[in-house]
Amino acid sequence: MLFNSVELLLFFPIVTVLFYLIPHKFRWIHLLSASCIFYMFFIPEYILILFVTIIIDYFAGILIERSNGPNKKLYLIISIVSTCAVLFIFKYYDFFNENIRYICSLLQVSYPENTPKYILPIGLSFHTFQSLSYVIEVFKGKQRAEKHFGIYSLYVMFYPQLVTGPIERPQSLLVQLRQVKKFTYSNIARGLRLIVFGLFIKMVIADNLAVLVDRVYEQPESYSSFSILTGLIFYSIQIYCDFYGYSTIAVGCALTLGFTLMDNFRQPYFAKNIAEFWQKWHISLSTWFRDYVYIPLGGSRVKTVRWIFNIMMVFVLSGLWHGANWTFIIWGLVHGLLYISGAGFSALFTYKKPDHPVINTAVNVVAGLKTFLFVTLVWVFFRATDLTQVENIFHALLNNGSIQGIDLGISKSILIFISIFLLIEYLLHQNRFDIWCELKPVAVRWGIYSFLIFSIIAFSSVESYPFIYFQF
Amino acid sequence: MNELKKLLIKLLILGMVLISLNYAYIFSFYEKDLSKNSDIVNKVINEENENADIIYVGESSNVTFRGDDLDKRPISAFLKDYFPTKKIGNITKEAAHAEIFYHLLNIIPENYPVKTVIITMNLRSFDAGWIYSDLETPLQKSLVLIRPYPPLFNRMMLSFKDYEIKSETERQAQIFEQWKTDSFSMPYPFQFKDVIDWDSMTNKKGILNPDGTRNQELTELACNYIKTYAFQIDTLKNPRIRDFDKIVALAKDRNWNLVFNILAENTDKAMDLVGKDLVFMIRKNRDLLVSRYSKNGVIVVDNLEVIPNEEFVDQNWTTEHYAEKGRRQIASNVALALKKFYPKEYIKKEFSEERPTKFFNDCEGQIPWGQMQTLSKEKSYSGAKSSKVGKENIFSLTYEYGIRNIADTMKFVEIECKYFQIAPNSTARFVLETEGKNIEHTRAEYQLSEENFPTGKWVSAKHTFPLDSTFFKGDLVKLFLVNEDQSFVYLDDIQITFRK
Repeated sequence: MLFNSVELLLFFPIVTVLFYLIPHKFRWIHLLSASCIFYMFFIPEYILILFVTIIIDYFAGILIERSNGPNKKLYLIISIVSTCAVLFIFKYYDFFNENIRYICSLLQVSYPENTPKYILPIGLSFHTFQSLSYVIEVFKGKQRAEKHFGIYSLYVMFYPQLVTGPIERPQSLLVQLRQVKKFTYSNIARGLRLIVFGLFIKMVIADNLAVLVDRVYEQPESYSSFSILTGLIFYSIQIYCDFYGYSTIAVGCALTLGFTLMDNFRQPYFAKNIAEFWQKWHISLSTWFRDYVYIPLGGSRVKTVRWIFNIMMVFVLSGLWHGANWTFIIWGLVHGLLYISGAGFSALFTYKKPDHPVINTAVNVVAGLKTFLFVTLVWVFFRATDLTQVENIFHALLNNGSIQGIDLGISKSILIFISIFLLIEYLLHQNRFDIWCELKPVAVRWGIYSFLIFSIIAFSSVESYPFIYFQF
Repeated sequence: MNELKKLLIKLLILGMVLISLNYAYIFSFYEKDLSKNSDIVNKVINEENENADIIYVGESSNVTFRGDDLDKRPISAFLKDYFPTKKIGNITKEAAHAEIFYHLLNIIPENYPVKTVIITMNLRSFDAGWIYSDLETPLQKSLVLIRPYPPLFNRMMLSFKDYEIKSETERQAQIFEQWKTDSFSMPYPFQFKDVIDWDSMTNKKGILNPDGTRNQELTELACNYIKTYAFQIDTLKNPRIRDFDKIVALAKDRNWNLVFNILAENTDKAMDLVGKDLVFMIRKNRDLLVSRYSKNGVIVVDNLEVIPNEEFVDQNWTTEHYAEKGRRQIASNVALALKKFYPKEYIKKEFSEERPTKFFNDCEGQIPWGQMQTLSKEKSYSGAKSSKVGKENIFSLTYEYGIRNIADTMKFVEIECKYFQIAPNSTARFVLETEGKNIEHTRAEYQLSEENFPTGKWVSAKHTFPLDSTFFKGDLVKLFLVNEDQSFVYLDDIQITFRK
């Protein structure tokens, strides 16, 4: 079920109302059933794959907790390998085959032409990582193994964050699933505010920009360099609004039920360098890689060469996590290089913060714009379907300076909405929409609600654009 | 309890806000949204239908013509020839079927004087390939805003995509599933159990050339005929039956005379390529529809086999696109059926085969020439529209004609029109193009800048092109104006005259 679908308009209030009507001890059944229904709206039979992952890690958690010494590690490895095998089969098997086939063709060795292809179950990468974080935390002894199969299943399947996160840690979500949730007006109001705001940035901004971005990516040769750059900037805004929108709706849906999920974004495009960007972008994934890959590899407390290796490993894995395609791997690689070069630059050149506030602000703005420009250009690898498209985009960007090209067709309304969004981002600085809104006078608050609701209804794109991160 | 009370009050306020927003929407963006996302509504609510006694409802079969047709008018326009005193409107939407027709008929305003509606009944639309076609998504989408609910609610349903969205793979899977599950039930022993079986055997066997080699093109066409026509209408399950039933009920409710026009299918080709079993199925489906709806008081015009193979425009695919004679034949049969309701108004019409030498287009959109998308209401010399040329539409409304219809005694062709330019020194030019299998593509041009036309004013523009013997070796002639400038030019009242 999509968050921006008519089905959710019915599903969400029914689930929320029933949740508060049902006694606490039966609520897990209600939420688990609702989550199954939510998931089965996509490809129903794929819920079985999800159950396989749940069963593996449920038993692995118990066995890890009960064991000591080498057995404990063995159970952890079995769990990680099995969970990752499911991910590999559905996400990477085809990519793997394609590359092996290519290498075989170079070596003139025969390789089967028709290897099986699988449709990627929606959100597989997200719930795989959530499951992995559970077994690793149990292994580290930071989390007790969950004995209640239903509660554990719900930890993996909790519908607001089931398909695109935020990737929650067991210490946060599992604990909350056992807590008695009381109906409070504040939770409902704040949750609804977040849902409306999330829908606004997804349906009004991201989806309307998607039309323009698609035009540029479909035939870059027909547009001027300026139009292409505009298209690339629009993609930066689109992917942010798309994913931020989804995460905000997820946090909002959970909040109406009394659950607190982590914030996935913190104004990432205001970051002054790549390292800061990654502290503000897709936080639940960045921290996952930090805690379960980067730190176990030694983190920064190693020699420089090893540190560079650690960083590159994290970014390449992050790229691969996003998609089974060389474009994603290169996207990760480039981010890794930018991260390392940024750190290197800071180490080599010590920078004294200017005393004058205006100069300081100007320096920050320039640094922010520079980071935004880098991120925007690197998004090309993320958005392109293959490396040929990447080449076409950059070729047209660099060579179409003198051609007039086709008009991109930017409407006044989309410019207005982008401006409003930038203003909101500025105003929300270090704050969240629901809390920021609460501090406003009633009339202003209702004015904002009316504006958002009217915009969602009257200005949403009529074209269907699923959430970008659904493909991961 | 207090918390709940607080929430209920807020929900009540929200309800009131939504009611106010509905009015704000109606007065601000509703009209624009309708024309942008449900332009289908303009096909129903327009001047022509507002005064019509009879409305012809159809899809592309109504308006598609062949390049060499002497008269390119649609079926609905031919119908007017039989009832000169009656006003006949039309609702034509490409790829539409009974469900879409039902929704369109539903929005015909109560105050329209229409007494009779003629509904195109396309046999192919009962087939899985059409029922689950990928054209469904845009069609269904275009209906959301015209649902009988408050406009803001409809717009919300459109924003939240309350219509069937399926990917091409999903639609193909639906079609395949239907072909696999619908087993044939024939009154005589029949070797194939379903479409998949029949299709794969035909493909395996192949259609052979006289020399015994496989003719791939004809094999694919034969398979397509099977996939398109090899079905047996299940009146309980087929969604089209439900839709036509709803149309019957609606017509009763609105007190309309109802005519179902079963379109002609290329049964000649079905017989040649696949054989009598397929034609048997086609006829059985037709018989079922005629019987079912005649019993319901509908006049069913059976055109299934009235058009010979050569009058079908698309020879390499299954369509209901007819050349001029075919369209005339359909119109003639429908007119005969309408005679029951309008006996005094009906006149018998004989069509002459005389070759016309003058052609006129007032640029109002009624006469189908090429580049109809250039018609614009921005400016006009007469009527409401003209052909707006420039930027993304550099070719004007285009006259196209089969050269075999032009007497070879003709020595000149003259293009004359009303012309309006915004900027001086326009590089716009008249172009005469000929193309054909036996000749090189030829092109003659005349620069309008030679005339030094004033700007901001309608003027007469004219040029005569000579016709030589090469011209008559071509198949198709095109006359139009090209404008590659950044400023637009406009054409109206275009006249083409062939002279000796």
